[in-house]
Amino acid sequence: MRYLALPLLSQNLTESTARAQTLSLYLQLSLQVSLSQRNESTMSSSSSSLPSCPKKVVTLKSSEGETFEIEEIAALQSKTLENMIDENCADTPIPLPNIKGKILAKVVEYCNKHAEVGVDAESLRAWDAEFVNVENTTVFDYILAANFLEIPTLLDLTCQSVADMIKGKTPAEIEKTFNIKSAFTPEEEEQVRRENQWAFE
Amino acid sequence: MALFKSIIQDVRDEIGNISKKGFDHVKFGYGLRSRSHRVVQDSSVVVEALKQSCWASMPPELLRDVLMRIEESESVWPPRKNVVACAGVCRNWREIMKEIVKTPEVSGKLTFPISLKQPGPRDSLLQCYIKRSRSNQTYYLYLSLDQALNEDGKFLLAARKLRRPTCTDYIISLNPDDMSKGSSTYIGKLRSNFLGTKFTAFDAQPPNAGSKVMKSRSTRLVNFNQVSPKVPAGNYPAVHISYELNVLGSRGPRRMQCVLDGIPASSIEPGGVAPTQTEFMSSTLDTFPSFSFFRSKSTRVENLQSGRPLSALKDGMLVLKNKSPRWHEQLQCWCLNFHGRVTVASVKNFQLVASPEQGVAGPEHENVILQFGKVGKDVFTMDYQYPISAFQSFAICLSSFDTRIACE
Repeated sequence: MRYLALPLLSQNLTESTARAQTLSLYLQLSLQVSLSQRNESTMSSSSSSLPSCPKKVVTLKSSEGETFEIEEIAALQSKTLENMIDENCADTPIPLPNIKGKILAKVVEYCNKHAEVGVDAESLRAWDAEFVNVENTTVFDYILAANFLEIPTLLDLTCQSVADMIKGKTPAEIEKTFNIKSAFTPEEEEQVRRENQWAFE
Repeated sequence: MALFKSIIQDVRDEIGNISKKGFDHVKFGYGLRSRSHRVVQDSSVVVEALKQSCWASMPPELLRDVLMRIEESESVWPPRKNVVACAGVCRNWREIMKEIVKTPEVSGKLTFPISLKQPGPRDSLLQCYIKRSRSNQTYYLYLSLDQALNEDGKFLLAARKLRRPTCTDYIISLNPDDMSKGSSTYIGKLRSNFLGTKFTAFDAQPPNAGSKVMKSRSTRLVNFNQVSPKVPAGNYPAVHISYELNVLGSRGPRRMQCVLDGIPASSIEPGGVAPTQTEFMSSTLDTFPSFSFFRSKSTRVENLQSGRPLSALKDGMLVLKNKSPRWHEQLQCWCLNFHGRVTVASVKNFQLVASPEQGVAGPEHENVILQFGKVGKDVFTMDYQYPISAFQSFAICLSSFDTRIACE
């Protein structure tokens, strides 16, 4: 706050000079008041938000060249991205040529959701269950992405969902669900048949 | 740390290359090199092929993660059948699952049929029970699924009694609906002599089947890891059982002795091991030229039939004897402590412990290795542990049904 330079008032001032000085005084006062008001308002608004520097964002580029932005705090769930951020390699877009855009978008969505604060465990579990409620080939892509990006929670979720898909099925049903050809020799086939006949007895 | 910088640099160079040269030379230093190569080369056709086989080419460490989850969570029966199902999907899955599943000796769990031929857990008794069906002369062995003695178990083996002119045979099979010796589910048999005093349990496979290579065998059996090592469907003596009256005659409990043909006496000592079969071998009716092998085995059988004492058969093999009951003056009967697992008095009930070789007993000779006893009209419990297997235990218990010595 600058101090107002107050002119000395002396009795010998003419009336017009006194008027001019008073007017200038008012102007200065009103300027100071409006300045301090603005300062207060900016101070009150900034105290409820994060430090005034902009949020750090990491850009990821899918195999098709599409870019996706992810807040740094969400990106830290990936050990791979965390290392890059630590090494200051994350300032330019990070190419991920083995992850398609469709999958990368979902991975970003997962990381964002899991970086949110104040989400209760129950609703997060429900959200996760919905996340993996997709075709198994998509879950496969999620697994590979989670493995590459080293996101332990996503890897755990996706591998567990595959295990759950397998449980309760016979070998033939598993082969059909996952489109796997068994390619056993006749002797191996015989062993498998005997084992399963006994196990499902 | 510096590695990442250089990787990013490499990747950026490659991306730069793509824009210059086109998609033909995409390489990716880590991750799925071949997969990304295929994806960018030829969109529609290759993507279709990928869709069909993506699971078949899943990175082994990730497949292993999934299969380990299943093995861990499906630890009891009936859910444990899911572990067996996974081992039947394709060769990859089978190899990984067979490697993850530990033997009963280590894990205390029965998983594949071969578990029935492997030694039981080391420090605890595996609880099973036998149901007798008089109508079709068949005995069924089950794994107990809970502590209560109710009849809710996992089926393990079945044995059918066949009376012959000079002996009785019990055919043991994995499939209660297929008890023929020629079937692939034939596991072995128990044969008794005419009097029901001496029994021999025969294994359809040699004791070291699927495990170590034995020097005396021909080179045909060398590659156990390859498919179909062929062994003739034979009868390899596994256990020799004999019953005798004790000094009190039929007023006292009978004496039992079992010689386990493939198991060394050292197996029960600290640090000892027992042979573990690792797989069933496919049998063939082709003639097998190693007569010398058969000769050595049949000598043992001849000894038994000629009435020579079991001592000639021992040769450092494990010998089990039944624990002597104590006479209970008040109850006026012979008592053994079955820890609640046997509830009906019967001469058939027994507990087997290892008999010391040189007559000097150590703490390992106190351990009950097999116990068997009646709990209902046609229901009997059978508890066994290392170093004998479910198959050997079942055969020994069957002999107890048949013997006529000291039966009221």
